[in-house]
Amino acid sequence: MTCSSEPILEVRNLHIDFTAEEGRLPVLCGLSYALPKGRVLAVVGESGSGKTVHALSVLRLLPPNAHVSGGEICYKGQNLALLSEGELRRIRGGKISMIFQDPAASLNPVLTIGQQLTETLLAHRKMSKEEARRQAARLLEKVGIAGAAKRLEEYPFQFSGGMCQRVMIAMALALSPDVLIADEPTTALDVTVQAQILRLIKQLQTESGMSAVFITHNLAVAAAVADEVLVLYAGRCMEQAPAEQLFKNPLHPYTQGLLNSLAPLHQKVEKLPVIAGHPPVPGQAQAGCPFAPRCPFASEKCRQSCPPLFEENGRKTRCWLREVHA
Amino acid sequence: MLNYIVRRLLLLPLVVLGVTFLLFFLTQRLSPEMRASLYVKDPRQMGALEEVIRQYGLRDNVFKQYGRWLANVAQGDLGYSPSANMPVAQAIKEYLPATIQLAFITILFVVFFGVWFGSASAVHKDKWQDVVARLVSVGGFSLPIFVLGLILLMIFYGKLGWFAPGGYSVQTDMIIHGGAFKTYTGFLLVDSLLNGNLRVFGDVLSHLVLPAVTLCIGSFALMVRVMRSSMLEELNKDYVRTARAKGLTQWQVVYKHAGKNAIIPVITLASIQFIRLLGGTVIVETIFDYPGIGRFGVIAAQQLDIAGILGFSLMVAVLFVLGNLLSDILYTAVDPRIRLE
Repeated sequence: MTCSSEPILEVRNLHIDFTAEEGRLPVLCGLSYALPKGRVLAVVGESGSGKTVHALSVLRLLPPNAHVSGGEICYKGQNLALLSEGELRRIRGGKISMIFQDPAASLNPVLTIGQQLTETLLAHRKMSKEEARRQAARLLEKVGIAGAAKRLEEYPFQFSGGMCQRVMIAMALALSPDVLIADEPTTALDVTVQAQILRLIKQLQTESGMSAVFITHNLAVAAAVADEVLVLYAGRCMEQAPAEQLFKNPLHPYTQGLLNSLAPLHQKVEKLPVIAGHPPVPGQAQAGCPFAPRCPFASEKCRQSCPPLFEENGRKTRCWLREVHA
Repeated sequence: MLNYIVRRLLLLPLVVLGVTFLLFFLTQRLSPEMRASLYVKDPRQMGALEEVIRQYGLRDNVFKQYGRWLANVAQGDLGYSPSANMPVAQAIKEYLPATIQLAFITILFVVFFGVWFGSASAVHKDKWQDVVARLVSVGGFSLPIFVLGLILLMIFYGKLGWFAPGGYSVQTDMIIHGGAFKTYTGFLLVDSLLNGNLRVFGDVLSHLVLPAVTLCIGSFALMVRVMRSSMLEELNKDYVRTARAKGLTQWQVVYKHAGKNAIIPVITLASIQFIRLLGGTVIVETIFDYPGIGRFGVIAAQQLDIAGILGFSLMVAVLFVLGNLLSDILYTAVDPRIRLE
């Protein structure tokens, strides 16, 4: 898919390493994408594929043992790595905000919901505490929490997981940011609550016209929210395509494997197909395509050298099989 | 919550009974003559010994004696302390405020600097701030109080003459007991200010500094360690990442978010230390000859002043229970999960 408008968030050739006892372990090797305004990109991958690390690196929230070793992340053309702490603070929460995987742990247990919501507003806007409180109550109502004024006085432990995630969403959207980064926002929730939360995020995203990056390991989640899907494997983009096309016609054998291993809703199956083997461990350097050891179509060439991303019809695929088409 | 406080208070008599009975039982290892001899100072009056024994029923069954002591305590009579030359209750009233004053100032410093150094140490983990805080902490931990006390005495009293050891100066004593000096709280530091007498204030303060510093060091070392590890743990939690992602300043993230959680174990430690200081300033009060309750306890023990020893331990037991209660109340003030559940 080609988009004429300038991307609001652009990641260019991002490399991230972890420092460990064994030395530097690459967890992200040259990730690139451009997120246009108002669009939702889903980054799909297994655990260890580098998807969460990439999300944290956008707002420079990486743990101390992780480093961006190459590439850049630009917000409206500004390289976020070059900003001062003060400049970055204005972007954090104000322009780009995040929601996290475990909503109950992501809220401070000893501060009230009201305190946590208003401090976000007060950190970015000049307003009185009263005003911030009223705004916070409105935000809670917007994310579907009844009796908002009273609930502002309550603490996170008095909220269920789904309610906590609603609070996190209210907090993330408090300042109408341009970009929302949601890192597995529904993983820790019950299945029924998951659907509600997804619908809520999608609805608020459409209303406000903001862009979003959705990090998930769940293809169904990606299908529900995304315009564009990026499949991550061992720190590399394997396939990137508009959501509809990717689900209808996956080009990469890894994506095909992932889709095959989903349980079909209206058919009975004896045994779900799985992708044999395990993803590579970071740091165990190997030549060739990282998926080659598990790929049913792997040839000698695949084991020798890693394919580049081949582009065709607005889709990108990292597979030698696509070489002829590109 | 109220329920909880009441339950704690009901525990108080049990603890007090347990502690005092144990001590009372131990004092019975001394023969009645030995116990009576303290009241008979003149060797020529040894004949009066038997009379004292009879008068106080020192040969009675231990339970009967203990019951009698309890009945007196219930009426506010803790007995007469020969070592202090006054009733035990009066001795406690006289000496305890000085010790509370000392313990309070000590714990104030310990908490303030402990929290400061501890969080700085955690925030700048493995940087020079951390190294300094850890060195100070290990040093303070390994330095015995009596050694440090003597070193401080040698330097600041012996060489520099900045601070005074021993009891208050004669002038201070004269002013305090002179009649014009009004007692409001029993704490001389406060009372001297209320009386507008800066001379007494200065004298009392100069007697406080060295013992307070000596007491600080060990507690401070422990406090730094607890605060550091507690802060490190909190800084790694998810809500800290959320706070950063919201665009809060480093100060808000560390002190408002992580700090409010990290302080919880510090509160427990501080209250335990405070109580420990109230009953355990014995060594420091002895070294500096500070007119506090610890020194009273030591002298009572040295002279086998049984009423004094029992009164002292009764006081420590009561303070211990009350202090724990206070710590629990403070705890709930900080942690809503305990307050509301």
